[in-house]
Amino acid sequence: MSKAPERAAALPAVLRAGAGRRVDARALVVGSALALVLVVVGPWILPDFMVNNLIRAFLYAAVALTVDVLWGYTGVLTFGQSAFFGIGVYAVGLIFTHLGFGVEHALLAFGAAVAGAVVAALLVGWLAFYHGASPLYASVVTLVLPIVVTQLLYSGGTFTGSSSGLSGFDSFSLELDGWFRIAGVYLIAITAATWLFVKSDAGRVLVAIRENEPRCEYLGLDISRIKIGLLAVSAVVASIAGYAFAGVQMVVAPEYAGFVFGTELVIWVALGGRGTLIGPVIGTLLIDVSTAYLSGNLPFLWKLVIGMAFVLVILAAPEGVGPLAGRLLRGRRDRAAGLVPDLRPIAGSGVTEPVDAAAALEVRGVRKRFGSLLVLDGIDFTARRGELLSLVGPNGAGKTTLLRCIADGGERSAGDIAVNGRSIERRPPHRCVGLGVGRKFQNANTFDALTVAESIRIARARVERPSLWFRAAGLDLPQAALRVMQATGLDQQLGTRVRHLSHGQKQALELAMVLSLEPSVLLLDEPTAGLTKPERTLIGQILVDLARGHGLCIVLVEHDLDFVREISSRVIVLHQGRIVLDGTVAEVVDSETVRTIYSGVRA
Amino acid sequence: MAQLLDIVTTAAILYAVAAGLLIVFGVMKIINFAHGGFLTIGGYSALIVTWLGWNPWWSLPFALAIGMVCGAIVERLVMRPLYARPLDAILATWGLGIVVGQLITLEFGREVQFVRSPISGAMSILGESYSQYRLMLVMLAVALALGMGLVLNGTALGLRTRAVIMNENLARGLGINSGLVRFATFSIGSGLAALAGALITPLSSVDPNMGVPWLVNAFMLVLVSGMSLVSLAASCLVLGGAQVLVSTYGNPVAGGLTIVVLSALLLRFRPQGFARE
Repeated sequence: MSKAPERAAALPAVLRAGAGRRVDARALVVGSALALVLVVVGPWILPDFMVNNLIRAFLYAAVALTVDVLWGYTGVLTFGQSAFFGIGVYAVGLIFTHLGFGVEHALLAFGAAVAGAVVAALLVGWLAFYHGASPLYASVVTLVLPIVVTQLLYSGGTFTGSSSGLSGFDSFSLELDGWFRIAGVYLIAITAATWLFVKSDAGRVLVAIRENEPRCEYLGLDISRIKIGLLAVSAVVASIAGYAFAGVQMVVAPEYAGFVFGTELVIWVALGGRGTLIGPVIGTLLIDVSTAYLSGNLPFLWKLVIGMAFVLVILAAPEGVGPLAGRLLRGRRDRAAGLVPDLRPIAGSGVTEPVDAAAALEVRGVRKRFGSLLVLDGIDFTARRGELLSLVGPNGAGKTTLLRCIADGGERSAGDIAVNGRSIERRPPHRCVGLGVGRKFQNANTFDALTVAESIRIARARVERPSLWFRAAGLDLPQAALRVMQATGLDQQLGTRVRHLSHGQKQALELAMVLSLEPSVLLLDEPTAGLTKPERTLIGQILVDLARGHGLCIVLVEHDLDFVREISSRVIVLHQGRIVLDGTVAEVVDSETVRTIYSGVRA
Repeated sequence: MAQLLDIVTTAAILYAVAAGLLIVFGVMKIINFAHGGFLTIGGYSALIVTWLGWNPWWSLPFALAIGMVCGAIVERLVMRPLYARPLDAILATWGLGIVVGQLITLEFGREVQFVRSPISGAMSILGESYSQYRLMLVMLAVALALGMGLVLNGTALGLRTRAVIMNENLARGLGINSGLVRFATFSIGSGLAALAGALITPLSSVDPNMGVPWLVNAFMLVLVSGMSLVSLAASCLVLGGAQVLVSTYGNPVAGGLTIVVLSALLLRFRPQGFARE
């Protein structure tokens, strides 16, 4: 026990600092070492049949891990990883059959496996992950991929061997023991790398996407690119597994690329425990090896049992058998993410000195229709830096719609919007963030499964690229965001999961997240709803400060006219999709028009 | 001319296969991957009728009834807890499809079997000699479409169903028992799937996995159609027609992929598919 610190000191520097990380890293190193010992010793003690089955199961488990990262962590349900496995399988089968085996052909096949997988992944990603694609559509595309690949293989005649596949080609002259160790080491390496990745700051981004994709987009993250990149990497991992598989089996068949295999991978992951790493690996190994032993005696019954277990798990324990067993053994424990970073205020808030003349936001003739319903009509106004502009009006006046049109170039039906002099054109939300727009939603819109600190880091991900391998010890934060957090006590709850926060704290957290973007045009939809009176006064002060002191242009939707009166420098009244009043607080709030509009609706 | 008949009859078959899936998707917003399993159940219902030596026409009501009963059981046991988790519902129903396939394999064996067709032979139409059974399928599909339209637009259950399709929360607020609507919908959808299974078996054969290839096509057609029976008919004609043309002038493998690939591309550029909006 006393040796622990020295062992930790021997770890790479990135793994060392911070208590939380050291524990993780030690578990990783010890686990990997144990697994390596088993993989080395295994062939000496296991019967040949078992060795043979485990080689296959190791490679399948590596593919199952890619399903787990895509589905369990990122929320993209995929049936298509089998197709990438199949690409690796056929790269070997085709090249070794038609060109013969040799070192250069082995390398060629490896290159083809990797390149083929990347090309297919980019194509699928382009189809499945466009801005606004529904999760169902993405799953559909991953379902289409293996169907297309197998049909192409079927139609390949003698070139692909059609339905019977290819066999009898020469391959690496390697004993089963060697393959066992190669496949085992591959699985350990992939598992370890995935472990580091999903626990890193970048891995938290995946969970954030799963939890709340729109919020991520409005934090300036390019979800399409992230998902396509992730798919490409996971495709390569699967394809290399297929390459090894064909190398050892020396048989290739269309089933390995097929849709049924793709769904089996999902079943293994679901049973083992999606969103964990060991679960899917153990699940795949157990099920695949048992299948090999049992399918001889009771083939249909075994498949029936697996099918029923799958339905039961989805119904009763969606997190999977592994986590369920763990929970029963350990009792329920919500482990807060061990590491709490230090908050480090950064100088300035990203915005330069107030320039009163500069128009931060220009809205010209904006119109929005839903079918035949005109929700916004001819909205025209210009807001300068340092202005705190409140949008008021009864429910259904179009206030939230207007904010949405400013934050997402695809929303408006007609008209023009410019931020800091640049038109937002048809830019999707994450690129509007790049122009300086920050949007806070009406209801607290946060990541329930993440901690406070993790949420803030996601919001900073656009500015500071999160690490793929570790968790940074410090968290840089603009002054304004820090003040919001201090005012609401969030800075003392960095390790708390967001789902345990009060509603008011969630509101404050979302505001802090948006401020972390260092926006120059800040769109706030009822930012103080659910806050206590003192909190709301504080937020009001901070907003006034941001506008006056830092030159932010703040557009605020608010129902509470007292709050509006206290902080605004200008008020716009919307009614039935049009601007009916635009002026100073005194001019607007006390005017007859406002009283009529509000009493007409609310009375 | 034969090609035109091929297109119309193919569209009719696709319509019959996809109709049950569409109403389940419309009301529950859930893709029922057990639809393939229910098609298979229908196929084996027809096989039982053949074995019993009954008039083959009996296979249609028999399959419909068995499908509805199975659907009712499944809705109670499996679907109800999953209404809030649509992606999980895909998985659970896929698992259910596996269970159905294995149960059928255990009971009936793996081998391919054949059922008796209610009518056989060819008749002359538009100067072509064409399969009578396929022509009858067109009439049945039209009858099915009219019947479903009538139920949806002319009965109290249909009115409630449309209300749930449009806005479930509002419908529930107005006192509509949406649980009952879902139950009825799933049961009817499953019954229609089994009916379609019984209808397609005389054209091919029966085996425990016969539903799977149909499932994917039906699934794509439903996604492309949105929630309307009319646009389902349109997409069956257009995509089914494309399938026939590609199979004839291209090759059969490409033909088999036509619906899947065209639908995926269509949805990429026009997410609402054939539906208006």
